[in-house]
Amino acid sequence: MNRALLRISLACLAMFVLLLLNMNYVQAFETNKLATEPGNIRVFDEQFTYQRGSIVATGDGNDVTIAESRLIKGTDTYQRYYPQGPVYAPVTGFDTIYSQTGIEQTANKLLDGTDPRLAIHNLTSLLTGKQKQGATVELTISPAAQQAAYSALVDDGGHPAAVVAMNPSTGAILAMASYPSYDPNVLTTFNGTQLNDAYDNLAHDPAQPLLNRAVTPNFPPGSSFKIVTSSAAFSQGLVANTSTTVLAPEPLQLPNGNLLNNDGDETCADGDPPIIEAFYLSCNTAFAGLGIRLTAPVLRDYASKFGMNQTFDIPFQVEPGLFPEDQGWTDPSLTAFSAIGQFDDEVSPLQEAMLASAIENGGTLMKPYLVQQVLGPGLSLIESASPTALSHPVTPQVAGYVKAMMYEVTHNPSGTAYETAGPPATSIPIYGKTGTAENGLTPAESPDDAVFSCFVPAGPGVSSPIAVGVIVQGGGFGADAAAPIAVQVIQAYLKAHS
Amino acid sequence: MLVFAIAVVLLAYAAVGLGLRGRLPGLPTDLVVFAALMVAAHVAIRRFAPHADPLLLPLAALLNGLGIVMIYRLQQSGRNGNPGLQVTDLPSSATTTQLLYTGVGVAALVAVLVLVREARVLQRYTYTLGALGLVLLAIPAVLPTSHSTVNGAKVWIIFGGFSVEPGEFARLALAVFFAGYLVSKRDVLALAGRRVLGITFPRARDLAPVLCAWVATLLILIFETDIGTAALFFGMFIAMLYIATQRVSWLLIGVALFLFGTFVTANLFHHVMERFTVWLHPFAGSNPTGIAYQPVQALEGLAFGGLFGTGLGHGQPYYTPLVQSDFIFSAFGEELGLVGVMALLLVFGLLVQRGLRAALGVNDPFAKLLIGGLSFVLALQVFVIVGGISGLIPLTGVTTPFLSQGGSSLVASWILIGLLVRVSDSARGPAPQPIQDEGMTQVVRAG
Repeated sequence: MNRALLRISLACLAMFVLLLLNMNYVQAFETNKLATEPGNIRVFDEQFTYQRGSIVATGDGNDVTIAESRLIKGTDTYQRYYPQGPVYAPVTGFDTIYSQTGIEQTANKLLDGTDPRLAIHNLTSLLTGKQKQGATVELTISPAAQQAAYSALVDDGGHPAAVVAMNPSTGAILAMASYPSYDPNVLTTFNGTQLNDAYDNLAHDPAQPLLNRAVTPNFPPGSSFKIVTSSAAFSQGLVANTSTTVLAPEPLQLPNGNLLNNDGDETCADGDPPIIEAFYLSCNTAFAGLGIRLTAPVLRDYASKFGMNQTFDIPFQVEPGLFPEDQGWTDPSLTAFSAIGQFDDEVSPLQEAMLASAIENGGTLMKPYLVQQVLGPGLSLIESASPTALSHPVTPQVAGYVKAMMYEVTHNPSGTAYETAGPPATSIPIYGKTGTAENGLTPAESPDDAVFSCFVPAGPGVSSPIAVGVIVQGGGFGADAAAPIAVQVIQAYLKAHS
Repeated sequence: MLVFAIAVVLLAYAAVGLGLRGRLPGLPTDLVVFAALMVAAHVAIRRFAPHADPLLLPLAALLNGLGIVMIYRLQQSGRNGNPGLQVTDLPSSATTTQLLYTGVGVAALVAVLVLVREARVLQRYTYTLGALGLVLLAIPAVLPTSHSTVNGAKVWIIFGGFSVEPGEFARLALAVFFAGYLVSKRDVLALAGRRVLGITFPRARDLAPVLCAWVATLLILIFETDIGTAALFFGMFIAMLYIATQRVSWLLIGVALFLFGTFVTANLFHHVMERFTVWLHPFAGSNPTGIAYQPVQALEGLAFGGLFGTGLGHGQPYYTPLVQSDFIFSAFGEELGLVGVMALLLVFGLLVQRGLRAALGVNDPFAKLLIGGLSFVLALQVFVIVGGISGLIPLTGVTTPFLSQGGSSLVASWILIGLLVRVSDSARGPAPQPIQDEGMTQVVRAG
């Protein structure tokens, strides 16, 4: 019987060897495959047991944490926390147990530590027993400018509005505020039901707090589009320089027989003013006429060079402005309206900031970006921003012409924004262009959208330039509703950088 | 060795406290009692079986202790504030209850040592125990569902909040029956038969017991929806037949019958076929959230544990339904990792090996057969459940010896240790005194 017993022993040995081999297979070789199975509840939970990286605003030279993961007391679970939730919500987005938006989404792999560039660090922390940690994402956002922007929007009194500020010479976004905003902290709960309720509340709120107005092309640019039209006119040789006169009849009879009026049906100077005067007075007929002569495709071409009709990542994907090839868009009568920022033109505050930015930067439009650098745990540099040009809409000479015209808007006592963004309001040399756009709603429903696109060049007392775009939906005149917000943002930024 | 085993258990207990609450647990009264029980078992073995294999008790103590620690850990589900659904159906008294069963198990061990002074004493009760085993097995099948079914398995006897899984004890009783029957019939089974294709097939009337066992296991399978137990019984009987007769033909017949039976039942019964589907395609379609939820959770738990595990108290084994009983090995895999699982498997392997060693060493053919069969079925049980959990074979519900929550399995396992201790004592000790028996020849071993 012992011979059989020995064979039975071998059978037992074989069973244990099979078990050991299979355990090795499952626990050593199949781990990644099993970990990536959809619905793996443990991997899902795991995200809360590691400290997700922080999002930090470094635009003022010091670190201000705007999103961090905090250890819940008495647990080994981390919960996301946004110290100033609504202020930075358009930038950070949110990080729920199911999904992310904003920087939380685009930098998700870096923040949660699964980016391959963090693999070596994670391996060493596995061996040294240290806790796995996500990378820190440092943003270009200036807390001073961001805070000022959001406060100004809140103080404005309930109009949906948004602000973007950027550094024209790099493209670094300094502020990105949207109102009404939301508190991402209500979405950080671990309770799925609670989360769904909170999300539904936000998603169904008629005020649309989840909408990031700063980068959504929802608004007609109005007269601020004259920056594009005049740039095209200079570049195409239609207008030689700023003192070249342009026709500005009141009203302008369009090819289809309809009339196009100046704001308030006022005459524009003597009806034949230098373009610079037509610009600071913001005469519609002058630029509508130029638009007809330029033709729609040429106008659209310049609009695209200023960043419209383009999709790019900042790092989340944006399409800041639209000059669409809609039905009838080449009809000169409609092109006349396109040229003054009406018809189907639509922009976001980011687009407005980009218009000013390109002019300030001598005709080169820098690509806007939010992430300055990413630091791995242990402060090793994972990636660093390298400013790149998005396009070259105009020559430095043309940029100089437009710049001179934008100076007059705020510094000529007749300029549209003289009172609100010029010497009476601030000693800072702001260059701007107002816009007061019909938004397609009746005045009773909503007054015009107020638009302001401006910049402050580097100079005495200005260590780095800043360009700002503001849109206040239904705010009325751009000079009255939008310009003061831009001024507050600029003041706060320059104060922090003096 | 025993001290070492108890120390490992204590450290594991401390690790659970640290893992769950970040501090050492309070005075481990439960573990003091556990240590006392093990020392008592040790003393009893020294007293009643002084020559017994010294490794048996420490191995069993280590497994039993780690099982208690894991149950202690599982009854506390996750750390406070752990997100997600916490699945635990363990009452707060689960640890103490398991400890109580350990006490009963140790008492059973001592009883075996005291009552069964020689393994062959049991041989007298071959048919008694055989009948008892069959009755025990059959009881749940005839009891109404409310008194016999837990989680779909009709293998219990439940009365007044107290439940027994008679199959665990029936296995021991039937092992005695098989051993007794085969010892008396083995010559006939081994020698008589026709040769076909170079293999000697046994005579039909000798084949009858095999067929009876085969039919019995299938009946259990059908009435009690318990494939795992059926496989264990069948495997045990075939192994014992082989040990007794040394005829490969028995193995071939057994395997053929097993495959045939599996094929028929898989096609007859939906839930059996389902096991195969789950085994082959655990992640297909809606399986992970449906019929394969439990094994998928176990697999993902094992994978999550990886090489070194999450550490006791740091994993989420409670996501696997019924993790404390049949699936407890996946909890070990998750929290102790591949390293811990391999260690556990080696402990089991060592236990089986010590059992087989005792079977080899003992002279009494009855004891040899009994212990050989029981050791094999211990290995088979570990293979069936661990292989099932880790996706090696289709999953069937059997307990993990010593580790799983539940008294029947634990007490039966301790009785098994008692038998192993007894036989190893005979195998290693001086030649036993002749006992008047039906003409059996005593071989006196030198040394």
